[in-house]
Amino acid sequence: MFRKPISWKWQSALGTAAILSLIAAYTALSHHRQRIDPKDRTVPSWHQIWSEGGLLKAFTPKEETGEIVVWEDFKASFVRFIVWFALSAVASTLLGLFMGCYSPLEAYFVPPLAFLSKIPATLMLTIFYVLVGLNFKFYGAMIAFGIIPTLAVTIYHAAKEDVPEELVFKARTLGASQMECVWSVILAHIFPKILEAVRLSVGPALIYLFAAEYIWGQENHGVGTTIRLQFHKGAAGATLSFGYLLLLGTLGLMGDSLQRWFQKWWCPWYAH
Amino acid sequence: MYDIVLDCQSVHHWFGDQKVLYDVSLKVVRGQIVALVGPSGFGKSTLLRAILGTHPPASGQVLMNNGPVTTPGRDRGIVYQKYSLFPFLTAHENVAFGLMLDQSSLPFRLFRFWKWRNLRKTHLRLAAELLHKLGLGNSLHLYPSQMSGGMCQRVAIAQALILKPEILLLDEPFGALDEATREEHQQMLLELYQENLTEKQAGRNPPYTVILVTHELNEAMKVSDRVVALSKYWLWEDENHRESPGSTVVYDAVAPGPPRDGGAVLDTFLKQRSEIRQAAFQPTTRHKRGEFIRFWRECQEGKGRGVMQ
Repeated sequence: MFRKPISWKWQSALGTAAILSLIAAYTALSHHRQRIDPKDRTVPSWHQIWSEGGLLKAFTPKEETGEIVVWEDFKASFVRFIVWFALSAVASTLLGLFMGCYSPLEAYFVPPLAFLSKIPATLMLTIFYVLVGLNFKFYGAMIAFGIIPTLAVTIYHAAKEDVPEELVFKARTLGASQMECVWSVILAHIFPKILEAVRLSVGPALIYLFAAEYIWGQENHGVGTTIRLQFHKGAAGATLSFGYLLLLGTLGLMGDSLQRWFQKWWCPWYAH
Repeated sequence: MYDIVLDCQSVHHWFGDQKVLYDVSLKVVRGQIVALVGPSGFGKSTLLRAILGTHPPASGQVLMNNGPVTTPGRDRGIVYQKYSLFPFLTAHENVAFGLMLDQSSLPFRLFRFWKWRNLRKTHLRLAAELLHKLGLGNSLHLYPSQMSGGMCQRVAIAQALILKPEILLLDEPFGALDEATREEHQQMLLELYQENLTEKQAGRNPPYTVILVTHELNEAMKVSDRVVALSKYWLWEDENHRESPGSTVVYDAVAPGPPRDGGAVLDTFLKQRSEIRQAAFQPTTRHKRGEFIRFWRECQEGKGRGVMQ
């Protein structure tokens, strides 16, 4: 068993079993709380999550605009996330790649990135609030500051250490220019690792997005998942909170699986 | 008189206090297969890197077709023991990779996509043809991780040969292969050499010039027409050095070719093997630097083999 790969069927079965266990554990916990106090909403039942001011309401179109609240919230958060996360990932990739390939860039950027990567972006909230104000750029500043230093350093290490120099020498004997070596050899070689590093950055990026939305929610009545949850604070809003958490978790699982599938599809050699 | 492809002129190399190469001079004629032997850590790969252009010599120079070598270039192909292929490309994409780099640029591939697509088809066809010739016709779409070590080395040789380099550098390419596969690959080199002879007889330039770095003496003498040994075990005190100045060429002679059971060639083979051991591998039997260097004299005496005849 030790470090032996298992079949795809087994993998799927075990993964599904783990999710079902989570659902069963939650159901048991909620049932236990409901038996003690049927009015308790700190761990609502599935029925309560759906019906009592929870998801059912969020999925019902508003009378005045016809918009579905949950769609409106998730769309707003998703747009903020995808725009700034994509830009940050591209910037990190370029920065890390060129740092790994060119020593002067490495010498110039490594110290500031090491410095910045030790400062949690959440501590920069007030500074960004003053610097960029509460607007679309505020989310960008939080996500970029939160993930670029660590992602760029991860990619820089991959570019510097994961590609055997023999492959670069060989490419040069095959007529590759320096830029061809960067693009066609080093980038191609570390691409699956870049995808993996980007996938692992999704979690931290979401934390910074939600932290920014939290601040925004305190100041404005905008739309967004965290902003909505702020309006439904406390035990009364727990049914909606759990509903949103459930949706976020499901979307996260789907997104993660999609990224894994893309990595396997784009880099089939990496799976072997 | 001879068509010299590679000329190493008094190459010295050192890393800090560590002296590696001392006054290495070596001329290689077009069409030769030169085996470079010597104990591990005595500078064979360093000399190869100097020829490749990735680590130019600290002093002296390397000339390719009379031009100095300063960087790697497509006139020199290389096959390493490890990391011989690009893991993210299939066998025929690996072989076509050199053609792609040589005949197209990054902007061309990005902005003139349709022209590039047609050119790409031609590259892949040429790569497939070469792989068929080397017996890998059924493995075109396999990634290196799906192929055996022997198959990978064959693809790596095809990858280097497709660009028709002036010289092919093989850095212990068969070192990690089993005996049977190793023999298959040695046979492949002998076939390349046979092509050289055919071309020379037809009055054309022999297409394959090879330097094979190996620590296997049998392999060196079997597949090459010339054996060169690098070693530190020579009488450097006689040349007024207080400590070893590094490895130099201590053996250079015509190789006997493949041994045949019971014949005179087998005797020559065994005698020469013991001579190379004495010249390069035994610290106790140090000798004068030029004692075993006789290749050019042998050629003048008409003892040269293959393209040197």
